[in-house]
Amino acid sequence: MGSEPIIVLEDVSIGYNHTGFLESINLRIKRDEFWGILGPNGGGKTTLLKTILGLIPKVSGSLSHTDNLVFGYVPQRENFDRIYPISVSELMMMGRYSRIKVGRNPKKEDREFIGYFLEKLGISHLEKQTFRSLSGGEKQRALIARAIAGKPDILVLDEPTASVDLKGGTGVMELIENIRTEDKITVLMVSHFINTVSRFSDHVIAVDKDKGIFRSGLKEEVLRREIIDEIFD
Amino acid sequence: MASISEFFTSYFLWRDPMIVGAVSGAICGFLGVYVVLRRIIFVSAALTQISSLGVALAFYLQGLAIMGLIGALIDPFSISLILTSLAALFFALNRDFFPISQEGVIGFAFIIASGAVVIIGDRITKGAHDIADILFGSAVVVDPKDVYIVPLIALIVFIIHLVFFKDFIFISFDPETASLFKYPLRILNTILLISIGIVVSVTTRALGALPVFGLIALPPLTALFFTENLKLVFILSVVFGVLSAVLGYFFSFIISLPTGATIATLATLFFLLGLCWRGVKSIV
Repeated sequence: MGSEPIIVLEDVSIGYNHTGFLESINLRIKRDEFWGILGPNGGGKTTLLKTILGLIPKVSGSLSHTDNLVFGYVPQRENFDRIYPISVSELMMMGRYSRIKVGRNPKKEDREFIGYFLEKLGISHLEKQTFRSLSGGEKQRALIARAIAGKPDILVLDEPTASVDLKGGTGVMELIENIRTEDKITVLMVSHFINTVSRFSDHVIAVDKDKGIFRSGLKEEVLRREIIDEIFD
Repeated sequence: MASISEFFTSYFLWRDPMIVGAVSGAICGFLGVYVVLRRIIFVSAALTQISSLGVALAFYLQGLAIMGLIGALIDPFSISLILTSLAALFFALNRDFFPISQEGVIGFAFIIASGAVVIIGDRITKGAHDIADILFGSAVVVDPKDVYIVPLIALIVFIIHLVFFKDFIFISFDPETASLFKYPLRILNTILLISIGIVVSVTTRALGALPVFGLIALPPLTALFFTENLKLVFILSVVFGVLSAVLGYFFSFIISLPTGATIATLATLFFLLGLCWRGVKSIV
């Protein structure tokens, strides 16, 4: 695992409208690490994730990451309005937009990349279908494919197995693990499933804003009985 | 009722309005796709009222003795364009500054503009019929300069949208990821809404508020019934927009109907056709 952190949070407070609900957050995420963010519904997991991504401004503190860090983001599927007739290939091409400037169009190599990742994730048969017509598991695969199509340094996932059946969820997680291993990508994943976080991550963040809890570190340190009981009690 | 041959022999009457109508149908149909997908249909309604308010305000200022010679220089078209563009800018930025929903802002703008148009219109010294035509357009006769202005503005807006097509779709469909990729969301949203505002302003002046609102809302909805391909939605929306305008003129001439309302009715008929097609497809 890399020695220098790629993302550093120092004494960060997270919240909304300049009001912090969780303070004194200190975090150092290094390359090739798999971080699971665990907590109850409404506990602040997604807020923490989006603050790290810069989508929500931090209330206070210092947040930094290495220059030119490329994020691959897999948001919750419900983020997307069903009215849009976006095809799977068009969706995946959006993953390349981190490398394509405003006012410029995708090139041939971008289209070849998309073809490669469609094959790699076993969804090339879905290329022309609309995203909205896919099953839950297919949508997750398409979103993961989109995220890695941009060749990210860090893959960020928000509840990737929510609303997916057990078999589908296992498939999604194994896919993420394969990508992480093959492409040596750092992973940051929000989940409220302890088993998923326990099985796949090596580092864990446990968070509950209502109880003012923030714990982070190696999986073995954080996933202790007393901490889990404290959060999910 | 006129005959078809009378229609063609009278081309000098409808040539200019039909050119303006067809171009308006095309560009409104194109931009209407964003309006429908982003669920901001009533933004266009608010913008048509604000456009009318700009015209009314210009004529009111022209009529004020205190304005003197300056009053003669106030151009209703320019005032309408400026006001509509400012309103579009406001809609684009309001989320950053006001803690109320987009729908609330649109409703507020629509009501205040509609009310102000009536109040100011009541104070204007020109004839009532002229005011109605000027405010709402007649669609039958267009200002000669509109034959050049409307296509020119439509072309400029279309070129801008061609260049930034992928960007506008991206920020509309997934603004979060666009923000993560450092796309300038605020700037792109502003350009998008101002381009809609400008087109609404010039086409409302030429055709009228009702047909413009119809051409923005209905062709895209109709196109969505026929295809699941995004680019084809844009193309079909343009086609339905043009057909609604051209056939609207044709039938209004043949059957002696109000032109603006006929255009809106044709757009509605195409919409119903699309609805039937969707129904048949789901059964088969």
